[in-house]
Amino acid sequence: MENKKFKAIKKKDILKLLESIAEEYNIFVPVEENGDARFSVLKPGQDIYWDYRNTKISPKEILFPQTETLFSFGEGAEVKTGGSAAAGGKEYLIFGIRPCDAQAISLLNKVFEGEDFKDPYYLERRKKTTVIALACNKPQIDCFCTSLNGKPDNEEGSDIILFDLGEDILAGAVTKKGEKFIEKLNKWFKEAGKQDITKKDKLMDLSLKKIQSQVDIQNIKEKLDNDFGASFWNEIHQKCLGCGICTYLCPTCHCFDITDEINPETADSKTPKGRRVRCWDSCMYPLFTMHASGHNPRPTFKERMRQRIMHKFNYCPENFGEIFCVGCGRCVRNCPVNIDIREMLIYIGSAK
Amino acid sequence: MSNPYLPLPVTIKKIMVENEARDIKTFDLKFNDKKDADKFKYTCGQFAEISILGVGEAPVGIASSPMDEDFVQFTVKKYQTGVVTSHLHNLYPGDVIGIRGPYGNGFPIKDLEGSNLLIIGGGFALTTLRSLTKYVLHKKNRERFKDINLLYGARGPGEIIYKSEIDEWDKRDDINIILTVDDRCGLDWRGCVGLVPNILKEKAPSSNNCIALVCGPFIMVKYTIPPLLDLGFVPEKIFTSLEMRMKCGIGKCGRCNIGSKYVCKDGPVFTYKELQGMPNEY
Repeated sequence: MENKKFKAIKKKDILKLLESIAEEYNIFVPVEENGDARFSVLKPGQDIYWDYRNTKISPKEILFPQTETLFSFGEGAEVKTGGSAAAGGKEYLIFGIRPCDAQAISLLNKVFEGEDFKDPYYLERRKKTTVIALACNKPQIDCFCTSLNGKPDNEEGSDIILFDLGEDILAGAVTKKGEKFIEKLNKWFKEAGKQDITKKDKLMDLSLKKIQSQVDIQNIKEKLDNDFGASFWNEIHQKCLGCGICTYLCPTCHCFDITDEINPETADSKTPKGRRVRCWDSCMYPLFTMHASGHNPRPTFKERMRQRIMHKFNYCPENFGEIFCVGCGRCVRNCPVNIDIREMLIYIGSAK
Repeated sequence: MSNPYLPLPVTIKKIMVENEARDIKTFDLKFNDKKDADKFKYTCGQFAEISILGVGEAPVGIASSPMDEDFVQFTVKKYQTGVVTSHLHNLYPGDVIGIRGPYGNGFPIKDLEGSNLLIIGGGFALTTLRSLTKYVLHKKNRERFKDINLLYGARGPGEIIYKSEIDEWDKRDDINIILTVDDRCGLDWRGCVGLVPNILKEKAPSSNNCIALVCGPFIMVKYTIPPLLDLGFVPEKIFTSLEMRMKCGIGKCGRCNIGSKYVCKDGPVFTYKELQGMPNEY
């Protein structure tokens, strides 16, 4: 980042900048919602929640909605492809996403891409999305991105990275797409001064020091290679209620279900009207792997907890070369029985 | 970008009830659009997602052989709890449903050539093995394979599927059929009586240059593998096909994995050697 050219813009001008491109982009920003933060489409008169720590629900819901129509069907059993196109065909702009969540997007890309089968719903949305990350000045107590190759100003997954210096915002292009974006809007920016850059560097140093959680998972994948039959799985799941909150809030969890819905008034017709829907599902639920015969390869909490940990820290590294966790801390913060994945990883790392 | 979630429309041409309990039916399906038929190129051992709009989808092994060009066949057992299979069993010829596929890795035909084949099936899991048997027996293919033994077991004589086909194969001299039932049910039964693993031990086929392909209820496969190993079959030359609850069929929804392998994409066909390296989570 030493040689990166930074641009500067007054924070109060950002809203006007975004307004000027609102015709072209669906703009998602963090807004305040019931005392929490959530990404939603910027409405006129609304303000960006600049000081948010992180959203409760991860912004994966922008590219991978919780519920999505795959296609609808009607008279004559004709199939009409549904909503992969963004509303009105506009581009997407995700503005102010935290670096951990931006890194998660680059992990999700690997799942939905593929040599043999590509997921057009996610990928077409991804193609038309520009990601502008906002570096963290105040990591939370349960953030542990640094244990997973992350940091408060990590660039992986973003096109532009922003730094909040108070009244001023610094912007640095990460990708060609980000460069072009800034160029097009050049009139809003000026060159960043040396003092701005020094201020940013100081902020990032302080921010990095605030991340106190350190989990040594250098060799977790290799350790887990031999741990499928280990006895610690018998203990590690015991508090778990199977509520699935961890998987819903996690920015890298991507398991989904596919079901059909029928319009009730056509229920008795031979060719009912309805839609085939994809929605988030969770490996922590018992029906996830239940066979019609009644057999379930993961019948208890033990097997399901094992699957969650192995999938993120062993199977995905095997298949994609990456651990599917970015250290955002959402599962730690929101688990109703205080299961802490960091503690689990430390326990596993040291278990025989 | 093509959309792998869209089912291709097919019309049911023929339905054949396969067993006495009338809960196993074979459906002959023909693509409504010839272009779809041309693109649907499959190998033995692959499966497709059968889609019924408004009801759902179910993964079913392809029962026809790639040499059958006019139609694609699926043999489907109706489960009480099966939403799609129950609905499917209430349909008639002329009804339109959908299929997505072909998915899965299939049997590695090239690796089977030049070998003797020991094909072992149990219950209605004979379905993809029937695809393989029809394929190797076809006059264009037969000479590439050596001796073929088919050992097939069902719970009773009424539960044997593909009866007329098996009768035809029995008349041939280029395949040896051994049928067995758990219980002859008081009927005039001329085949063997006994569980497949026991009949296997009794018949003791040679493992010399032989590849074994075993499909059946998991408990049957589990007890068939030790006698195969005792007979000298090596783990790399024992093939089986696994089943899992599936939704997308293309390795994205995260549901059907055993370890880092997705049964829909890296399987469903695995060698016993591969299974030994995978976690014990079936």
